[in-house]
Amino acid sequence: MKVIICGAGQVGWQIARHLSGENNDVTVVDNNPELVRRATDTLDVQGIAGNASYPDVLDRAGASDADMVIAATHSDEVNMVTCQVAHSVFSVQRKIARLRAQNYLDPGYSDLYRRNHLPIDVVISPEKEVAEAALQRLAAPAAFDTESFLEGRAQLLGITIDEDCPVINTPLRQLTDLFSTLRAVVVGIRREGALFVPSAGDQLFPDDECYVFTDTEDMTRTLEIFGKTQSKQERIVIIGGGNVGLGVAKALEARTDRVRVKMIEYNRDSAERAADALDRTIVLHGDGLDSALLEEANIATADAVLAVTDDDKTNLLAAVRAKEMGCPMAISLVNDPTLIPLMGPLDIDAYINPRATTVSSILRHIRHGRVRGVYSIGDAEAEVIEAQVLSTSPIAGQKVKDIDFPEGTLIGAVMQQGKIVRPTGETRIEEGNVIAIFAMSDDVPEVERLLQVSIDFF
Amino acid sequence: MGWVVRLPFFVILMGLGAIAMIVPAAHAAVMEDFMTMRVFFYGFILFSVLTLMIGLATAGYAPRSVARSQLVGLLAAFSVLPVMFAIPFFEAVGNTTFLNAWFEMVSSFTTTGATVYDTAGRLTPSQHLWRGLVGWMGGLLVWVTAVSIFAPMNLGGFEVRAAGSAGKGSSGSFSQIAQIADPSERLVRYTLTLTPIYVGLTGVLWIGLVIAGEFPYVALMHAMSTLSTSGISAIGGLYFAASRFWGELLIFFFFVFALSRLTFSRGLIGERDHGLRRDPEFLTALFLIGTVTSLLFLRHFIGAAEQEDPANVPEIAAAFWGAIFTVTSFLTTTGFESHYWDGATEWSGLNTPGLFLIGMALIGGGVATTAGGVKLLRIYALYRHGEREQERLLHPSSIGGGGKDARRIRKQGAYISWVFFMLFALSIAAVMLMLSLTGVQFETAMVLAVSALSTTGPLASVAAETPIAYSGIPDAAKVILAFAMVLGRLEALAIIALFNPEIWQR
Repeated sequence: MKVIICGAGQVGWQIARHLSGENNDVTVVDNNPELVRRATDTLDVQGIAGNASYPDVLDRAGASDADMVIAATHSDEVNMVTCQVAHSVFSVQRKIARLRAQNYLDPGYSDLYRRNHLPIDVVISPEKEVAEAALQRLAAPAAFDTESFLEGRAQLLGITIDEDCPVINTPLRQLTDLFSTLRAVVVGIRREGALFVPSAGDQLFPDDECYVFTDTEDMTRTLEIFGKTQSKQERIVIIGGGNVGLGVAKALEARTDRVRVKMIEYNRDSAERAADALDRTIVLHGDGLDSALLEEANIATADAVLAVTDDDKTNLLAAVRAKEMGCPMAISLVNDPTLIPLMGPLDIDAYINPRATTVSSILRHIRHGRVRGVYSIGDAEAEVIEAQVLSTSPIAGQKVKDIDFPEGTLIGAVMQQGKIVRPTGETRIEEGNVIAIFAMSDDVPEVERLLQVSIDFF
Repeated sequence: MGWVVRLPFFVILMGLGAIAMIVPAAHAAVMEDFMTMRVFFYGFILFSVLTLMIGLATAGYAPRSVARSQLVGLLAAFSVLPVMFAIPFFEAVGNTTFLNAWFEMVSSFTTTGATVYDTAGRLTPSQHLWRGLVGWMGGLLVWVTAVSIFAPMNLGGFEVRAAGSAGKGSSGSFSQIAQIADPSERLVRYTLTLTPIYVGLTGVLWIGLVIAGEFPYVALMHAMSTLSTSGISAIGGLYFAASRFWGELLIFFFFVFALSRLTFSRGLIGERDHGLRRDPEFLTALFLIGTVTSLLFLRHFIGAAEQEDPANVPEIAAAFWGAIFTVTSFLTTTGFESHYWDGATEWSGLNTPGLFLIGMALIGGGVATTAGGVKLLRIYALYRHGEREQERLLHPSSIGGGGKDARRIRKQGAYISWVFFMLFALSIAAVMLMLSLTGVQFETAMVLAVSALSTTGPLASVAAETPIAYSGIPDAAKVILAFAMVLGRLEALAIIALFNPEIWQR
């Protein structure tokens, strides 16, 4: 597939990296020649320096035979115009634009992005999605990673197994029999840095990080079985008042249960902007690493700290400092996936990888078939794909045990007629079911093939 | 019409003042008070000719700074123009000193409404009408000059919200603005916009009061003094009005025009506002009126309950109405005393509830309205600042929200408000001191100083334990009070702005 990515910033770069890794023909357009050169050096992409919205620049980037344009520059307006040009001049089929300003994202005006108006097929808003991810982490403080699937009725939880976990050293098959009513499946285990899909005979050991697919109603019970307790969060300190922090604070303010939020922001202008946008949240201006300021934010009695500045190291250090000062839980935003192994030694409870969330949201539009959601696990090691089963798909009408799934895949949950079913070998996948599949990266194309519309559909 | 605009501001005002003398002359003719008619008609002729001559002499006058000349003109209008108003008045009344006549006119024109002619029948109706008319014109002058002269210079309360510094006008230059509207042009434009509103509102209130059962003449006087917040009455106050409750109710609703400028000049000077319901001045006013009224009302149950008199419903309602009307009236610096204020006083069980009224008059009404005093917006700015400082005690590095405007009000706005507040307090102290030097007693001096500086003349007869008569104070004190009224009307900052070197230097 030929993809043009406009803007080689944080988001554009990550998408380019991910897509080029999957043997797509990627062209990066950015008006900073230095950045374009870096992109062509480090990634397997082509690069064009120039203003992305100019027709001639898009032409040089090969827009006339491109399948997709992803406009992810800093400016919402440039992204909009890029999509318009790609549509009107080059008839590019799929157009994805990153829009940051909340004013453009008002559902009341979503008509704007229709084909005959401002043709944007998919609007992505990374800050918003990262904020949602942060909220999910807060909702499940015991898990280091969470994502919801199947219209929010199933959750993927990343749980670290402790020494005192009641289910260690037990084969998974036995666990299934033991908790027969629990709708939960262990879909992936990371042991000593390596991620693999467990088989029925595998056991859980301390310090394993395991990914569990569970029905949302059973979430608390699942966490309890894995030795985690849920606690309510009433006082939250957010370090970093950028778009992400602001989004989280706004969402927390909108909640019905009174959450007391304090926000620390280093930049005076950003702090003022946040203070204006927020109502009950107390915005503090200063360095989030400063212990006096953290004390002023009353970190010792806070239930959780959320470090979401744009600097990874600041986030990590702030989280560590907050924990050291008595905050029971710390969540940190980490852009660089190579820093993720540091979470354990630094005693940071959970992390948000904006890359994973953004890339996930874009991937779900690139995947074939009726893919409804894609979530990227770890450093693009695995994906969870949520898809609707079409009548022409090779898996429709088959029992799970008869489907020729590759080695590194596992079905996490099946939704049949609006009900979540725990998949067993005897479960029959029907047309119209929605399934969530955990797949190692190498097996993604094969899963895609299974989900795809076969040729006789036409 | 173009040549009129080019005349100095003061000459235009003088001409208008001269023409206005026809009104009492005509009224006197109808009332068959021919002496007054003649005097005012001669006054009209004399001053029209005089204005014409001055106008001819100054036709080619081109001031270096039009804004400054207008500010000087305004100062002159409030201090010199009353002399012109006083001449026919002095002649018509006959048995008075010129100083008294001048004091009366200064007090009327600055919308203070303090009168030395407080005995009934001292003045003929036409002479009363002249007082009311002068006050009414003063009110209109304040309306117009506030938006056309004070607003562009960031004075008169506009400095609280303004981005530029007080007395200077807006900072920053925009290259696309090729030509800036001439201050005289602005004056004419706003005069043409606001005069019909002012006249119309007065007319509506007049008709309303007449319908409520008032005598047309008294109704006109009260309508004019409500709109201009002068509190001038031909019958010794609203207390004696025939329309009673319904008249008071009607006047009560017209007080709103002195609480917030948004009621009449919304959108004129391009400020961002969120409507009357979210206007800080209006909300502050509501809060103050509510608090003081309920204090006066609920005080009864704490202090006066032991008197054990069976209260009936009409009495309670009367006490409540008396309190709320009078409090609002003094907050707008009008100074009308409700017919039911006595009931409210008794009800509250306080010996001197008038002290509340002094406080209200000090606070005053809205910016760019006819009200005087410290002004609600400044009080609001100081309150916000205080609130924010308390927040900072808990969280020293916290950032206040509410937007750029709110932050500016809390910081620079509160600062300039505080400066103004201190100037006001110092003026009170200075005026009191000078009054004491002329032999006025301490309490009297205090009440008089506040009433002059806040332009609430009737305060003197209500606030103190025993009513103070302006006629009884020494002549020197009258002069001091007259200047205090001008100071209170123009605000100290505007007078200080005149000494701003940037205005004087080229």
